[in-house]
Amino acid sequence: MNSIHSCYIHIPFCSSICSYCDFCKLLYNDKWVNEYLNSLEKEINFRYKNELIQTLYIGGGTPSCLSINQLEKLFNIIKRIDLSSDYEFTIEVNVNDITEEKLILFKKNKVNRISVGIETVNNKFMPFLNRFCNKNDVLRKIELIRKYFDNFNIDLMYAFPNQTIDEVLSDLSFVVNLRPKHISIYSLIIEEHTRIFIDKVTPIDEDLESRMYYKIVEYLKFYGFNHYEISNFALNGYESKHNMVYWNNEKYYGFGLGASGYIDKCRYTNTKNISKYNECKYDYLSEEIDFKLDMEYEMILGLRKINGVSKKEFFNKFLSSIEDNFDIINLVKNKMLIDDGEYIYIPEDKLYISNSILVNFIGGSNSE
Amino acid sequence: MDKSHIRNFSIIAHIDHGKSTLADRILEETHAVSEREAKAQLLDSMDIERERGITIKLNTASLKYICNDEEYLLNLIDTPGHVDFSYEVSRSLASCEGALLVVDAAQGIEAQTLANLYLALDNNLTIIPVINKIDLPNADIEKVKKELIDLIGFDEDEIILTSAKTGVGIKELLNEVVRKIPCPKGDNDSPLQALIFDSIFDSYRGVVIAARIFNGSLKVGDTIKMMETGASYEVVDLYIKNPWEVKKSSLSSGEVGYISASIKSISDVKVGDTITLLKNPAKDPLPGYKPMKSMVFCGLYPVESSKFEDLRDALSKLQLNDASLVFEPETSTALGFGFRCGFLGLLHMDIIKERITREFNIEIITTAPSVVYEALLTNGETFMVDAPNKMPDKTVLKEIKEPYIRTSIFTPSEFIGPIMELCQNKRGIYIGMDYIDPTRVNIHYELPLSEIVYDFFDKLKSYTKGYASFDYELIGYKPSDLVKMDILLNGEVIDALSVIVHKDFAYNRGRNVVQSLRKSIPRQLFEIPIQASLGNHVIARETVKALRKDVLAKCYGGDVTRKRKLLEKQKEGKKRMKQVGSVELPQEAFMSVLSMDENE
Repeated sequence: MNSIHSCYIHIPFCSSICSYCDFCKLLYNDKWVNEYLNSLEKEINFRYKNELIQTLYIGGGTPSCLSINQLEKLFNIIKRIDLSSDYEFTIEVNVNDITEEKLILFKKNKVNRISVGIETVNNKFMPFLNRFCNKNDVLRKIELIRKYFDNFNIDLMYAFPNQTIDEVLSDLSFVVNLRPKHISIYSLIIEEHTRIFIDKVTPIDEDLESRMYYKIVEYLKFYGFNHYEISNFALNGYESKHNMVYWNNEKYYGFGLGASGYIDKCRYTNTKNISKYNECKYDYLSEEIDFKLDMEYEMILGLRKINGVSKKEFFNKFLSSIEDNFDIINLVKNKMLIDDGEYIYIPEDKLYISNSILVNFIGGSNSE
Repeated sequence: MDKSHIRNFSIIAHIDHGKSTLADRILEETHAVSEREAKAQLLDSMDIERERGITIKLNTASLKYICNDEEYLLNLIDTPGHVDFSYEVSRSLASCEGALLVVDAAQGIEAQTLANLYLALDNNLTIIPVINKIDLPNADIEKVKKELIDLIGFDEDEIILTSAKTGVGIKELLNEVVRKIPCPKGDNDSPLQALIFDSIFDSYRGVVIAARIFNGSLKVGDTIKMMETGASYEVVDLYIKNPWEVKKSSLSSGEVGYISASIKSISDVKVGDTITLLKNPAKDPLPGYKPMKSMVFCGLYPVESSKFEDLRDALSKLQLNDASLVFEPETSTALGFGFRCGFLGLLHMDIIKERITREFNIEIITTAPSVVYEALLTNGETFMVDAPNKMPDKTVLKEIKEPYIRTSIFTPSEFIGPIMELCQNKRGIYIGMDYIDPTRVNIHYELPLSEIVYDFFDKLKSYTKGYASFDYELIGYKPSDLVKMDILLNGEVIDALSVIVHKDFAYNRGRNVVQSLRKSIPRQLFEIPIQASLGNHVIARETVKALRKDVLAKCYGGDVTRKRKLLEKQKEGKKRMKQVGSVELPQEAFMSVLSMDENE
């Protein structure tokens, strides 16, 4: 599929910075926001070619930390994006920012999916993450969301230093009881340039982390969630359409500071420098996607999906088969991949070592 | 030039005593280079030499110097300072009549000061003692003078004081070179005898020879003959370096210069061979050099098997100006086709490895270094074992001997205890201790060479906070109770990981080796048992657990390029590992068979 029908918009501001966060983010500063929104509007006008958009995602940072006025301004900008009839429009919110007024504003502006960052409800780990909430608050806020939105996601994390499997499951059970339609659960990654990296935090034992992961999968499946991507779970029919655009190697716009997009034959990443961005100097990096690279992306992204890559769809897109382009025979023989005739996928017990399998699809890169 | 106005000399010193800086200052003093050109340490031309602050290769410079209104030609032949390269030092010394013995004014005499001095005396050279770095705030000139007088027997008035940094004493030193070092002997009218003391590969000129003319003379257009290899060539170019190239129409006895003769074949030029003229050949060659025996051997294997020929090519090119490097093809079940290479020492090995990777761009795996053992077989034959896998079977083995060295360890007396402990742990036999002055000693031990090939230098440095200096001489072979220890990965013997150990230390070593292997082998898709065995008897075991986590949990806001970059990086890392059977081994794994301590 060559036309663009997805769009990501980045709002980099946050009212406080989480210790592990490696996203493009800035501490909220009233002065910057208006300038930023002005530049964002220009970027959208510059790039957007009036395609009909099926998935729209406002992420951050913390989009919900903007004031009502600023949010109104943001939605005014977004108005010019044409949405299809079956669109999915998600906005990320921090549970502490939620107010009825904001929810009504979202609803009025066509948002139909909320993604709530909770990460943990265990007090023990809140100072470590530099994120704070309390369970009663969370319960109240989620009820408020439910009043306006049926479809919401909760983000959760695990693999904190000294965390036990029971503690992971206790967070998970709290979240499941909030009855979200979708759960994203990510392990803590100690990324360079983050607080916890600088503090030299030691990661937990990889065997324990792997056990945690498979416990989570088991638990959520038991509660009826469909495990459709390495870190994503949804009730049937509530898989995130926007996320699937990434894993299906489809095109999308990325607008905003540090945002990434894939248009024409190019994957690009915008500048992460707010001053440059506000001066409308958006460009930072771009990677030209040729035929071969496109196929590689198709595989390394597609294999994140539990269903894997459809052999037929691959053939229809590239007019040659997966087997003709990648040496998968040994991987299949060694049970690193399964070929069921229709799909090529990573078996469940190898999901947590998927990189070791994906490297086999990385070939003639520019660095060679 | 008239021979009586030529002086050929070297500078010898312990490492870091300012040899190269002094050489640079001499170039400046003789106006060979301007101050602007005097980039630090001009004669160290390789990147590795500059980075490590050591001289590896010889280099020569021919300099004009006016003394008492007369013009002299000073040929300065730079020498390496590290103990591994004493062979190179003796090569350059054979081309000289004199040497400057440089001692650091703050450090005093060190192990290699003496080692190099003895080499110079072996070559009957005239020695000029020099105390350098007298500008240092902690210089103790009187103490160092006393060492030179008491330990070596110089007279106080022959010692020259210099600071290569400020230039103090350089002129006086050069005058002393002219006055004290004898001019070269030799006869211009005899048939040509020129000693090849170095060769360089130049992509335009082919092999270029550095030679010292002892008798006769040589001019452009002459046909030369190498007396040992028999090859003959017509001389295209003659030049000297000052240090820039200066063309010459001829070179005559006593002179040092470079000969270019469109030599294509690397094997035609042997360092130590004598050059003569095809038409009027000399009867006998010059004494040349004793061929240097390689002390340390290891296997060199290309990570990618297709690079085998490239590696051969690289080794041949390196051998051209490094006669001490020897190699022959070797096959390992685990590593495929590679070369067994012999080196003068560990530093030499390191440098060759680095040059192959850097200058020839070939990723290589090296097996653990080993020494050459002497095996006496039951049938009376003697067999040299230069690789663990050549160890003869117990049933035919009568006795096995290993090479021993005698150390000179110069150290402040406060470190005597730790040094003795270190030597004891390395199977050392205490011989004695000389006091240089009340605070410094020279400790002598006899040690198996195999015990110092790996981490002895590093250990010595850390045990003595860098204050000790070390030199050794080979004293021959001694019988030892040695056995071959095999390492098994996944139940299969990996020949490239076998190592020869002393029987009494085998259990300990086995335990340390498998532990160290467990740490250096990254977790892989399956569990890997590691075993150490003597014959069929397993003496230690560890397990590398299967990889459980290798995943990118989160994809950042659609930034999939970044995810790909991470996978690319991972793939690059994989490329540096060697696939051995089903296991991927990083370079460190091959070295871990030498690990001795549990706390490593």
